[in-house]
Amino acid sequence: MKAPIVVAVLLISAMPVIGQSPAYKAPRTADGKPNLNGIWQAFNEANWDIEPHAAAAGALALTGAIGATPPGMGVVEGDAIPYQPAALEKKRANYKNRQALDPEAKCYLPGVPRATYMPQPFQIVQSSTAILFAYQYAAAVRTIFLTDPGPAPADSWMGWSVGKWDGDTLVVDAKSFNDQTWFDRAGNFHSDALHVVERYTPASPDHLLYEATIEDPKVFTRPWKISMPLYRRVEKNARLMEFKCVEFAEELIYGQLRKQSSNK
Amino acid sequence: MRYRCFALLIVLAVSVPAAAQAPPAAAKSTTSAKWVVPRTPDGKPDLQGIWSYATLTPLERPAEFAGKEFLSEQEAIAYEQRRLKEDNRDRRDGSAEADVTRAYNEFWWDRGTKVVVTRRTSLVVDPPDGKIPPLTPDAQERAAARAEARRLHPADGPEDRPLAERCILFGNGGAPMLPTAYNNNAQFFQTRDHVVIVNEMVHDVRIIPLDGRPPLNKNIKLWLGDSRGHWEGDTLVVETANFNDKANFRGSGENLRLTERFTRVAQDTLLYEFTVDDPTSFTRPWKVELPLWKNPELMYEYACHEGNSGMAGVLAGFRKEEADNAARK
Repeated sequence: MKAPIVVAVLLISAMPVIGQSPAYKAPRTADGKPNLNGIWQAFNEANWDIEPHAAAAGALALTGAIGATPPGMGVVEGDAIPYQPAALEKKRANYKNRQALDPEAKCYLPGVPRATYMPQPFQIVQSSTAILFAYQYAAAVRTIFLTDPGPAPADSWMGWSVGKWDGDTLVVDAKSFNDQTWFDRAGNFHSDALHVVERYTPASPDHLLYEATIEDPKVFTRPWKISMPLYRRVEKNARLMEFKCVEFAEELIYGQLRKQSSNK
Repeated sequence: MRYRCFALLIVLAVSVPAAAQAPPAAAKSTTSAKWVVPRTPDGKPDLQGIWSYATLTPLERPAEFAGKEFLSEQEAIAYEQRRLKEDNRDRRDGSAEADVTRAYNEFWWDRGTKVVVTRRTSLVVDPPDGKIPPLTPDAQERAAARAEARRLHPADGPEDRPLAERCILFGNGGAPMLPTAYNNNAQFFQTRDHVVIVNEMVHDVRIIPLDGRPPLNKNIKLWLGDSRGHWEGDTLVVETANFNDKANFRGSGENLRLTERFTRVAQDTLLYEFTVDDPTSFTRPWKVELPLWKNPELMYEYACHEGNSGMAGVLAGFRKEEADNAARK
């Protein structure tokens, strides 16, 4: 008489939870958690513009087609970001002045979720006590606390992140951001009220499903969502390399303060 | 991460095992018999957590301790008290000029409040005199050329300014790690095939593979070098090369080979040793021993470049001075 009960329990535990990839169960770490370790990268045009967009000239004519914006289908659920009217004006102004204003041009920390889909890889380092997200761009890092340390003492560029497991999905609650980062090169922006809930779900040995719900009552009329696959860098010699980009941004930031008679 | 809590200091002082206070030769063998090194789920020594390398112990042995390798307990306390008093930048008992040099006051400084647990008189343990060996003639020439460039072009552009002022590299970020003014903290993460060291100073991160992969192509030069790690018993050994020629650790060049050893010798002590080998820069290899202490506080984001209004101010100041000088002619 015991056998049917066992079968029933098995059936229930095998049923997919909504939002999870039903057919795939991730390999485990030594402490039994889904193993997200590895080097991952988005493969899309979200960093140019998270909304659907046609190809366009770059911000600097002198860079020719190299600097042009590749077209993209966008990663925003429902296509349009629900801006409040004044915020939409600001977004348009950001776009016009993007060469001067985009924090990426200045090698500033990318913030969240932008760090995830910059055209450079990032590495998840998943130990038993904490998870590190290390991004190649600007050597940005985030620690994902698995035990809530309490509120952040101050706002920051990369925010304050607390993670938990929901089945095979790593759910990260990120807040305490400053208002300095953008979502993309198109000037999409947020305020210091930004709250991002991210979900990283293993979908195959070599890809994750990334979803982020974005909330900011100072800028948007309602929460909205982006999603995209993240791919494992499967090259045998894949590694995060060094992209300390301050040097590359100094002329842009400080060029007008350079000694003019200098013949260096 | 500043260290404000006196009660915490007492707890730390008590929790450092007595054995760790003895000279290091004895430290490993006489650590409390009950303590065993914690291990990761993979069975390796668990080095994880936030470790501080703040200390009052100087890198090189001061003249007053010539010929003396260790301080007694009493001498250590006296030295600490004297250093804390002399280095205090909230003092206003000097000239106006002294006040200006103390503009970065105690709010900024996080230099630690104690000497290293071994009570050594210097962090350099080899050569035995506790001094960094002399530079080779080649390295002296390079140093002289840098000094001349600084004299002729102190601030023509941002690239003339020191690396730390540009928020590119600090003397403590590493590799290797050595204490400076503040942010003397590093968080260690471990997986089966990587050890990752995140430094609080400019959030530098060193991702160290343990899987025996081949070294990076020698033409790729990096600010932090290219590291490979392996375990020797319970000691993590990390070897690093491929430094660029601008990183310049105490006069080193791109031939620098750094070997670091990390051994958890007590619950609150991670023994950090490194050997600097660069025959084109130093007349002999030299070695540092720096016991790190477990810091119970968190690490925070140090967005140095993002807040670097100082650089604009420095350059604008030089331009103003030049304009004033030109107007006087």
